[in-house]
Amino acid sequence: MAKKWGLYVRKWLTQKMDLPQDVMMDLPRITMIGQVHIYIENHRGLLAFSDGEVRLMIRGGQLSIKGQAFVIKTILPEEIVLEGKIEQVLYINDGKGGGVT
Amino acid sequence: MKNQWIHIFSGTVKVKLTGKGIERFLNQLTRNGVSIWNVKKHGSEAVTFYVDLQDVNKLRIPARENHCKIRFLERAGGPFFLKKLWTNSGFLAGAVLFFALILLLSNMVWGIEINGASPATEHQIRKQLDKMGIGVGKMQFSIDSVESIQKELTDQVGALTWIGVELKGTTYHFQAVEKSEPEKVEANSPRHLVAKKKAAIVKIFVEKGDPVVEVNELVKPGQLLVSGVYGSEKKQKLVAATGEILGETWYSTEVELPLKSTFQVFNGNEKRTYSLKIAGKSIVLWGFGKTEFKEYETEVFEQPVKFFKWELPVKIEKTTIREREQATRIYTREEAINSAKELARSDIKNNLPENAIIKGEKILHQSIENGKVRLIIHFTIIEDIAEGQPIIQGD
Repeated sequence: MAKKWGLYVRKWLTQKMDLPQDVMMDLPRITMIGQVHIYIENHRGLLAFSDGEVRLMIRGGQLSIKGQAFVIKTILPEEIVLEGKIEQVLYINDGKGGGVT
Repeated sequence: MKNQWIHIFSGTVKVKLTGKGIERFLNQLTRNGVSIWNVKKHGSEAVTFYVDLQDVNKLRIPARENHCKIRFLERAGGPFFLKKLWTNSGFLAGAVLFFALILLLSNMVWGIEINGASPATEHQIRKQLDKMGIGVGKMQFSIDSVESIQKELTDQVGALTWIGVELKGTTYHFQAVEKSEPEKVEANSPRHLVAKKKAAIVKIFVEKGDPVVEVNELVKPGQLLVSGVYGSEKKQKLVAATGEILGETWYSTEVELPLKSTFQVFNGNEKRTYSLKIAGKSIVLWGFGKTEFKEYETEVFEQPVKFFKWELPVKIEKTTIREREQATRIYTREEAINSAKELARSDIKNNLPENAIIKGEKILHQSIENGKVRLIIHFTIIEDIAEGQPIIQGD
């Protein structure tokens, strides 16, 4: 219960103070350049990696990126740069503990 | 992404990883702070990526933990490149040798071209150049500057009035101008011969014309010597009078010569240093140490190093330091008079035509005052005093 309260406070604060959400809420920031590049900051680790799909752990679930010919350009603890032909970006929710979508 | 250039210098390795726990392995690596890039999947259980050379050792433990096998595929960047270079050092040596050779050959003299000189003069010029050490195959550093070559050539080769010296690339171009004596104009128009200066006639030799004066006669300047009007009163004929009238002329010269004189001379001691000048800074190549000369003069000669036709910002600097000495010359009375006479003689010869003869000399006045010898010498000279004067017919 206390965790949820904290979440509400943070959400309220970011709305009122006009702060960037990714900083306050620990959400992934995803930047895409056309279909070619995708930058994902604030991920929690690599789950699966293949030519056609990359799964990343994020807060409250998973992020699935589908496409063709994926190459991880750089991978850092909280940042990943992916190159290839990106077709889909999918959020997969755990159903528990998340609630912020 | 990090700057790729840093990786190139420190060296990179392409790694192939096979196994099942690839994702876990990658996560572990990133958590350990190992930077990897260009991760590509090959099939289901193989992945290739690049890693810094210095991080290679950090791959081992995560790989073992995740039951993966590592194979190194490619090595690139600084250290590997150097290693390759070392094994192929022959090429490097060849390249260096090649540049050194080009550099050497670019600074050699490869040709000497002489224009505007007759074959005889050209031969003389070439001989003189040989003496000066200028020839095909000589290094340009060992050769004096263009100006001094020009000066020496004009001094040493008598037939030259002027010579232009130009160094174009590796070829010296000489543009010679020879002394061309003006051709003697035949005196065709009628003329008299008159006296140039006051003289006593010694010898008369007339080719054409009518001599009016006699030997031992004293003539004044402008006086008629040989008339161009020839023939009897009725049948007058005008000719161009030619001939040689030798007359005795007199000159007096005053010479002053100090008994004691001091002057600066180089005593022959010299020191040469060669240095390489790069961007205003000199690096001494040869001739270290300080000069021990008390009084000296320095002469600096700079020669740019060339590469093909371009001049590099590198110069070879040749410095010559010559020791200077003060010499004192003291004449005794007699020596002073003798050298004063010599001086007077050469002085008078400068003012006379070449075929004039000094017949006699007489010291009129001689005194030694304030450490100076003063002489007044009277010279008797025999010279040609005839001068043409055109006959202008008034009527």
